[in-house]
Amino acid sequence: MIYLDNGATSFPKPEPVRRAVQEALLTCANPGRGGYEAAMQAAETVFLCRERAASLFDCRAEQVVFTLNATHALNMAIHTLVKPGDRVVISGFEHNAVTRPLHGVGADILIAGRRLFDREDTLFQWEKALRTRPKAAIFTHVSNVFGYILPTEELSALCRRYQIPFIIDAAQSAGMLPLSLRKLGADFIAMPGHKGLLGPQGTGILLCGQVPEPILRGGTGSESKYQEMPDYLPDRGEAGTVNVPGIAGLSAGLALVAETGVERIFRREAGEAAFCARGLRNLGYRVFAGPFQSGTVSFLPKSDCEEAASRLAELGIACRAGLHCAPLAHESAGTLATGTVRLSFGHTCSRQESREFLRRMGEFSQRKL
Amino acid sequence: MQEIFFTFRSVTYAQEGERVLRQAGIHAYLRRTPARMAKRGCGYTVVVRARDETRAKALFDREAVAYQNLYRMEGTP
Repeated sequence: MIYLDNGATSFPKPEPVRRAVQEALLTCANPGRGGYEAAMQAAETVFLCRERAASLFDCRAEQVVFTLNATHALNMAIHTLVKPGDRVVISGFEHNAVTRPLHGVGADILIAGRRLFDREDTLFQWEKALRTRPKAAIFTHVSNVFGYILPTEELSALCRRYQIPFIIDAAQSAGMLPLSLRKLGADFIAMPGHKGLLGPQGTGILLCGQVPEPILRGGTGSESKYQEMPDYLPDRGEAGTVNVPGIAGLSAGLALVAETGVERIFRREAGEAAFCARGLRNLGYRVFAGPFQSGTVSFLPKSDCEEAASRLAELGIACRAGLHCAPLAHESAGTLATGTVRLSFGHTCSRQESREFLRRMGEFSQRKL
Repeated sequence: MQEIFFTFRSVTYAQEGERVLRQAGIHAYLRRTPARMAKRGCGYTVVVRARDETRAKALFDREAVAYQNLYRMEGTP
């Protein structure tokens, strides 16, 4: 199988990740709850992961809050910054993990910057929107549908200049592009543990520039005499037992990412995406490609996108079709009615696989699919 | 032998404290905070030898590691 759905999750998980999960299942009890060896081993496993994340994302270990996934992290961040009726500026490429919580809280949503791969327009529209003095701003680092890399440093600088609290959705960039909580000055950066960071599903991280409002309350192993949740990081955001085996796997994934280097990972994944984009164009497909593109590329097949993805699966190509939980991004790009087929490259990608993919697509295109 | 107990609000802060000391070559270990010292309920403590107290405090200050209290203990509590 040629796996091109890393935007959904990295697959298969690297061997050190699998081994770390198994090791944790055998050696770790509940972290932060006991003083015996297995409890301390669990605490050490979790803390090592915090340290590795802190090192990769340039923050302190306690600013790393473990979550179930990026959606959980985004919900916590949004719950902290946004109250009913608040105006919130978002980009035109946000995932439902951003827009649904905003709709749920009753935010007044202002969409800014809808032109694909046009950073100048993105920045122009954002400056205009931020002048309306919203209560918060949220933008994705990379569009999960089109791989458009938004001008994150510049958008962060604009938010800081206008003193607007902001959240970055790093679901498609963590482990693929450099990210510094300290330099960007974000209030929150949300990310999954199971995509570019190579950890198991059911892991996520919220990097906290401020103490979040909890969306879950319960035991934290600290300040147990009191009914209020602790007012400090990371305990305030981590009620209940964390996913220790998942975090152990995530820790191994973070070590692999650090060892390889995000710049190298990006060059390889974006390089294969660009290579396949050119090949698909040569085969006559409409491809959404441009400058500032990550290792994700979308195209329009000659038939229904879901049917095309099903036929591709029969040819041994695993990719995703449809709206990719981001109708706003499709609306911005004019593909809401059709959806797209998305190829997202990951840690296992190679030029040999890309060539094989294009060869199979060549056969596919002759059948008008 | 006298030991110094630095109590912390949570396991994460205690682990940070332990790391800072170990990286500076100070022997330190982590344990649960004895109940009589845990004023706000459960917590963790970093234990160092008495002779390392001044250096440990200076390192915590320098690295902004916030401990709650300090207890001087004779032997195991």
